[in-house]
Amino acid sequence: MGPHCVTGTTGRMVTPHSRARRREAWLPYLLLTPGLLLLVGMLYPFFLGAYYSLTSYFLQYPHLFRFVWLGNYLKLLQDPLFAYSLKFTIAYAVVAVVIQVVLGLGVALLLNSRIVGRGVLRATMLMPLMMPPVITALMWKVMMAGTKSGILNHLLSFFGVGPVNWLGSVDFAAVSILIIDTWGNLPFVSLILLGGLQSLPYEPYEAALVDGASGWGVFRYITLPLLKPFIILAATFRIMDALRIFDVIYATTVGGPADATMNLHMRAFWQAFQWYSMGMGMAYAMVLLVLVFLASYLLMGYWRRAAEETVI
Amino acid sequence: MPTTSTPPHGKLVWIRRLLVSLAVLALVVWTVFPFFWILLTSLKRPLDVIAAPPKLIFEPTTENYRAIFIGQQRGLYASARPDFPLFFLNSIIISCGAVALSFLAGVPASFALARYSFRFKEELAFLFLSFRFAPFITFLIPLYILFQRLGLYNTYPGLILAYQLISLPFAIWMLRSFFMEIPLEVEEAAKIDGCSWWGVLTRVILPLSLPGMAVTLILGFMFCWNAFNYPLMLAGRQTFPVTVGAIQFISYEQVLWGQMAAASLVAVVPQLILSLFIQKYIVRGLTMGAVR
Repeated sequence: MGPHCVTGTTGRMVTPHSRARRREAWLPYLLLTPGLLLLVGMLYPFFLGAYYSLTSYFLQYPHLFRFVWLGNYLKLLQDPLFAYSLKFTIAYAVVAVVIQVVLGLGVALLLNSRIVGRGVLRATMLMPLMMPPVITALMWKVMMAGTKSGILNHLLSFFGVGPVNWLGSVDFAAVSILIIDTWGNLPFVSLILLGGLQSLPYEPYEAALVDGASGWGVFRYITLPLLKPFIILAATFRIMDALRIFDVIYATTVGGPADATMNLHMRAFWQAFQWYSMGMGMAYAMVLLVLVFLASYLLMGYWRRAAEETVI
Repeated sequence: MPTTSTPPHGKLVWIRRLLVSLAVLALVVWTVFPFFWILLTSLKRPLDVIAAPPKLIFEPTTENYRAIFIGQQRGLYASARPDFPLFFLNSIIISCGAVALSFLAGVPASFALARYSFRFKEELAFLFLSFRFAPFITFLIPLYILFQRLGLYNTYPGLILAYQLISLPFAIWMLRSFFMEIPLEVEEAAKIDGCSWWGVLTRVILPLSLPGMAVTLILGFMFCWNAFNYPLMLAGRQTFPVTVGAIQFISYEQVLWGQMAAASLVAVVPQLILSLFIQKYIVRGLTMGAVR
């Protein structure tokens, strides 16, 4: 055996070069070790929680702990409160995303046009974006005071409207939350779509100019189709967050009044931390998880197809 | 897309310009007014806050700020909450700790995910990503139970670990997207010069992606600062961050509007300052590196 050859554990001849290569093969796993340890630390509570959703776990009554199979889920199916929360969660997410994408498109077109102080306007739009949602909600809560001392009601009174009981009435609570949510997230949609508008190619517009197309026609038949991947991407991120909206609701209505704004997330929280029914809370949480997963899976696929189609 | 405008035609252009100006004005008012109003509220005495109609002109006071910082309170509604400096400190400790831990684990992990190929690589990357989209309650309920048993409830280490659900997936995906922007040729050249993987990482990848790492650091800190739902149940009075601290001014007995407004403004000062430095990268950060 030569001086440069070493016998590996398998008994085969291994040159220093291939040993280095073998070490390279292990390297990614070595590099990933700290991350994987933390990943296990995240997955363990997740699976523990999934297991709890199959049990009758009450925090104050440990002796009642039993494995009930799908009992909690069957209970959900018969519960009208669950049906309401499910409907509210989906309806809120769909309405919020449609409104925010339409308004966001308008703002993006505005920011893309030749206006004075565009840079300042863009920087201003970033301010709501990095606010803690709970602080955003508290700011609006001050303005949405239900009496005549609220500034929004005062402003509305000039138009002869109100006073509106914003967060305190069944009819307006969800709308109020939608307004707060939109204030915080409209810049996100706008900036994604603005980025999209700025990346669009010139050629189709030049062709349209030659053909003498109208402004609306250009927008409808050129801009909108080209922008589709960006619209879907923004909608995907927004719908996943809108399905899970919690901070804003917690800071304003806590699910009320009369459960009007009780989405699945809020209901899971109430079950677990108000009634200490950890099993039922986890069942609600798992339903929400599946809902978010389905929505993101469908939209991501849609986005990928749209992105492939619009490649020029 | 070119910023097209049809050739000018006198009156029509004038009307169009007016409409655009109005839209811009509306947008500015819509964005800035809430900040303006919370600032006014934070300078009002309790009776001025609930005055109807709302007062634009009043005698400003600093008592709300003094109340939240040093607990000094005069006047009708005496309720000293001098613990806000502690909440602020808690936010700094937890956010810095969480980002530091995420970087320790995230830098090598994202280097592996950006530069090496191995089995289940993409699956692993997407597993990390999926934590960004899972509802927090799926983790909060089991963590609450675990933390009570392990003695991590209401402690900094516990909260820093819980915050990994926010900062680690973010750090891994952002750093990976920055590492992947460095051309492979640079790395190959270093290898030919005799650099080991450690040399490549510390002498090539890290120096070249310093701006990206700074952006990831700042944005990660900001996302941790914004966190509300994990500390809501996993922290106690000694470890509340500012987000949970600000909501403490709402209780069953009364709402301390003025102090809550002051606390809210103080709580977002770091956000408003930091966001100036990373304007270009905010969207990239919010989409986990998906939108450049």
